[in-house]
Amino acid sequence: MREFVLERAGDTVEALRRAAARTPEDGNMQYLAGGTNLLDLMKLDVMRPNRLVDIAPLAVEHGRVRKLEDGLWLGAAVKMSQAADDPDVQSDYPVIAQSLTQAASAQLRNMATLGGNVLQRTRCNYFRDTSWGACNKREPGTGCAAMDGCNRRLAVLGVSDQCIANYPGDFAQALIALGAEVNVFGTDGRDRTFAFETLHRLPGDTPHIETTLEPGDLITGFKIPAGPWTRRSRYVKVRDRTSYDFALASAAVALALDGDRVVSARIALGGLASVPWRAHAAEDALEGRVLSEANAQGAAAAALEGAVAHGDNAFKVELGGRTLVRALVETRDMEIMP
Amino acid sequence: MTSLIGQPRTRIDGRAKVTGHAAYPSDEPVRNPAWAFLLTSAIAKGRIRAFDLDEARSLPGVLDILTHQNVGDQTKPPKQQAGGDTTTTMESDRVWHDGQIIGVVLADTYETARDAAFRVKVHYDRQAPAATFDQPGVEAHYREPGEHEDYEVGDVDAALAATEVKVDQWYETPTQHHNPIELFTTTAEWNEGELTIWEPSQFVYGLRNNVAGQIGIDPAKVHVISKFVGGAFGSKGGATARTAWIAIAARRLGRAVKLVATRDQGFTIATYRAETRHHLQLGATPDGKLTALRHEGWEVTSRPSNYNVSGTETTARMYACPNILTKVNVVHADRNTPGFMRAPPDTPYMFALESAMDELAVAMRIDPVELRRINDTASDPTDGVPYSSRHLMECFDQAAERFGWASRSPEPRQMREGDWLIGWGCASAAYPSNIASTAARVTLRSDGHAMVEIAGHDIGTGAYTVAAITAADRLGVDIDKSAVKMGDTDLPPASLAAGSSHTATITHAIAKACNGILAKVAQAAVVSSEGPFAGKEAASLRLSEGKLIAPDGTAEPLEQAVNRVSKGALEVYAEHIPQGLSPESMEKLYQGQPPMLRGQSREGVRAYAFGAQFVEVRIHRLTCEIRVPRMVGAFASGTIVNPLTAHSQYMGGMIWGLGAALEEKTEIDLAHARYVNDNIAEYHVPVNADVSRVDVIMVPETDQQVNPLGIKGIGEIGIVGMNAAIANAVWHATGRRIRKLPIRIEDLL
Amino acid sequence: MDISLNVNGHRHALSLDPRVVLLDALRENLGLTGTKKGCDQGQCGACTVLIDGQRVLSCFVLAALATGEITTIEGLAGEGEPLHPMQQAFIEHDAFQCGYCTPGQILSAIACVHEGHATDEDEVREYMSGNLCRCAAYPNIVKAVLAAKSDMAANA
Repeated sequence: MREFVLERAGDTVEALRRAAARTPEDGNMQYLAGGTNLLDLMKLDVMRPNRLVDIAPLAVEHGRVRKLEDGLWLGAAVKMSQAADDPDVQSDYPVIAQSLTQAASAQLRNMATLGGNVLQRTRCNYFRDTSWGACNKREPGTGCAAMDGCNRRLAVLGVSDQCIANYPGDFAQALIALGAEVNVFGTDGRDRTFAFETLHRLPGDTPHIETTLEPGDLITGFKIPAGPWTRRSRYVKVRDRTSYDFALASAAVALALDGDRVVSARIALGGLASVPWRAHAAEDALEGRVLSEANAQGAAAAALEGAVAHGDNAFKVELGGRTLVRALVETRDMEIMP
Repeated sequence: MTSLIGQPRTRIDGRAKVTGHAAYPSDEPVRNPAWAFLLTSAIAKGRIRAFDLDEARSLPGVLDILTHQNVGDQTKPPKQQAGGDTTTTMESDRVWHDGQIIGVVLADTYETARDAAFRVKVHYDRQAPAATFDQPGVEAHYREPGEHEDYEVGDVDAALAATEVKVDQWYETPTQHHNPIELFTTTAEWNEGELTIWEPSQFVYGLRNNVAGQIGIDPAKVHVISKFVGGAFGSKGGATARTAWIAIAARRLGRAVKLVATRDQGFTIATYRAETRHHLQLGATPDGKLTALRHEGWEVTSRPSNYNVSGTETTARMYACPNILTKVNVVHADRNTPGFMRAPPDTPYMFALESAMDELAVAMRIDPVELRRINDTASDPTDGVPYSSRHLMECFDQAAERFGWASRSPEPRQMREGDWLIGWGCASAAYPSNIASTAARVTLRSDGHAMVEIAGHDIGTGAYTVAAITAADRLGVDIDKSAVKMGDTDLPPASLAAGSSHTATITHAIAKACNGILAKVAQAAVVSSEGPFAGKEAASLRLSEGKLIAPDGTAEPLEQAVNRVSKGALEVYAEHIPQGLSPESMEKLYQGQPPMLRGQSREGVRAYAFGAQFVEVRIHRLTCEIRVPRMVGAFASGTIVNPLTAHSQYMGGMIWGLGAALEEKTEIDLAHARYVNDNIAEYHVPVNADVSRVDVIMVPETDQQVNPLGIKGIGEIGIVGMNAAIANAVWHATGRRIRKLPIRIEDLL
Repeated sequence: MDISLNVNGHRHALSLDPRVVLLDALRENLGLTGTKKGCDQGQCGACTVLIDGQRVLSCFVLAALATGEITTIEGLAGEGEPLHPMQQAFIEHDAFQCGYCTPGQILSAIACVHEGHATDEDEVREYMSGNLCRCAAYPNIVKAVLAAKSDMAANA
């Protein structure tokens, strides 16, 4: 961990002011929220900020879960455990609660914020260990050691010939499936709201640029629109261990059904892709059709079309499809309390 | 009064452990330590051309950076657990394996040392490494008998040719790392030419003598302290390279130096369980009697080391069989030298044998339990020597009963609950009963307090409590008044806490010292004209419930009995040398060489503990996660000193088996011969949610031959049958036979 | 930089490098070595402490930012004092072997009960999965947590 200057922001205005105060000489500022990802990567010398702006005090402004007339607001400073244990989230947005309780551990969920969670970085070991020379995400232009290496956990969707790192989170899949919007304040003091689906960038030729955020941008919260599908929603996570493990494959599913016919399906896949992955093709394949296991398999095939494997991770193409089938069937069969 | 041996007893160190006051070596306070951070190689084979240390040295607070260039001639590698050559570290520019120690950064604070270490640039002359089996550049050769034996009985080839019923298969087990939760730490401090080392160790005398030999000082000037060990499982049994370097660093700085190696460094600066490969052939008569067993193993090791575990020593003698042939090969690769890890030989080799036995049972349509019964034996099939005791089938019967095995359908894919396929499997377990020479000193105070002093090691096994129980039982004092000191080379030497030998080893020495106390007290009592015992037979007296007691009920308080010999307290030092070991074994122990009497190589008797293990697995029909809702293990291991802690040992071993079969695998980047998942988020060890019901059955067993107290080991046998039991259950659930561990989702899709 | 830590009811003034995490400050600066380092990467749970009653990983908290009331294992029962029901239950159920993960397990377990995540065996297993025990005392840990829950309720 390199030396840094530690600053504390009392509120959003101060945080943005401190972020804006950066000069070319100390251009490497990071907000510090829960710290569970940033401090980890700083200890590993992967991230080397020279200025940390502690934004914990912003919980006063952005630390609430609010039920809205037309949906749900999750403040970016809300802790994962706080959202997971919220009764409204559990009853009306179960996919969100499940994606959170199945992530990390109770301790980490008490620390990590929702805003930080969606920005967590890949677990690719070739990225996390600086003794590997080739990592285009860590050092652009150096190559990708994972392509021919141990890539069992890495991505098969949304990859490029520069990077096959996977997005490791769970909550983002729930957000993306439910069509959430993200609210962001820029250092100019203005805020903007945009589809969460556009927050993450595919690796392409620039795997080191992971989001569409500008330097100093501060996520303040997530708006999840209401819809007839939010209560019939589910997160299925497949992993080696029963708990405290990253997904090999996961599926966030929300369904509006008319009898056994799909009115609207909302599907995201995790553990499989370079970014939180909305499976539009699978959604289209289901809409208007009876949700049988056979039709679910058809949707799964559509979802995994174009997947690219690199050896160890070849099984994830098959596993991803099966995970989606399971999630669809289990979501269909959910008992929904009136 | 009933014996304390066999009564469940909570740990005497329990309060220290639940209050945070148990001092593990890195917890021990030292004055103003400098901090060390290791530099490790980023290549697996080659030489160091140059270091660029300027940026690291420029950081305020950096004190020194050790490399082969400035300290390379000051030590040599420690002796290996199994003897022979091993890889070097900073003795030269040579890199033998990934993650080899190539430097030590020293700074005023941990934060500065770590920061500086990441700023060191190393320029290498790289060579292409060979990582493991099947990679170009590895060298395989037959392991000559010596430390381990090979067996040839009858004519295996002829027997296999003559039989119709055969299993002929290959099996594989992966690289695994112990990953105790305590990191590998070393603190070293010099004081007027004397060196104190605080380091978690399974063998403090071994560590002391190793380090003294490496840096060329008198072992009497080295003091090793390891009062508590935060998990070991074999990883802290042998000396490793780091210790001498930290001692050298402390000497250069004239200041205590503290090292807490990182989790990833732990994968390469200590040992591991190497990957193994097995070719196993079984032949049987139509009624299920084995006619042939051929087992050939291959084990990966480092370039210079011939380390191997040769688990054929157990598989060759499991079952009655007239034709046996075993052979072991080592495969040299560009890797760190492997070492002991819980049931080192038996865990991988019994996976092969017990999987093959299940395959044979399936092929012959014989119940797997009955196949073991048909082939049970009272003597060692390799030479006819009788087992000291063997209750394998009692274990099977009791475990099968508890498990409900009788209702199992022999066909696979017969049980299902919702989306989950259910399978049941079983396997035999066995582990040799080992014992070593050891010394102990016991003090009995006239106020009813006892003190045991022995440089043994409680690595979580409950050794402190076992020692206290033994002394309290023999001396007739309360366990609460039996204090125990361990893990310190100022104490009489004990052998290493490994090979399931430690309870048998230390209890015999402690009991002998207690007997010495009783003898003195009794002798003084019977010759004294004062007191009630005059003229009685000294050998008939006992210490019990705070009194000296004669068979006729004559008694006197402990206080008088002790004070008659020595005012206030009486101390006896004793050495126990098991029958079959030489008197020189005690000298060797003082020199740090563990004198182990191995259960499989004793004269006239074969000493093993046996067990039977049953498992239920559930496998999701779509996503194929494998869960283990229940396991039953029954074990016959002679005298159980403390059933409470013994239960934890068996249970822990079984859960280790669950991890080994389904989760644990160190992934190796083949092109670079480097470990990739070198952390405990991705080197998966079981979590709480992985474990549901675990039933442990302790089958009573009295064995007068294994040793005087009838104690066999229990620390390792719990893992031994689990790999195969789980693989066999997976077959039963799915119809798929997986012969390569760990069994994971991708194997079943 | 100058910082202040409130640990087990005592306030400590320290001057520390901003990079020091709470885990190291407790162990190396305050001598509270009951909090253990098992990975320093948020992967084992051995460094679990309570801050304002919430269980957190002290390896991921900068000491300079640890402003709440911190409870470590040493804060549960002083020398000669009765043990916390969770500590007592861990001893009685042999819920540890080597003892290294135990301080973290116990603090995590106390929080688990207070959170209301200890209703049955399955929930305890899930909510205690952030604390690795390599000796694998898990079934005994589950028993201890459920036993201590009753005692904690009785004492409340």
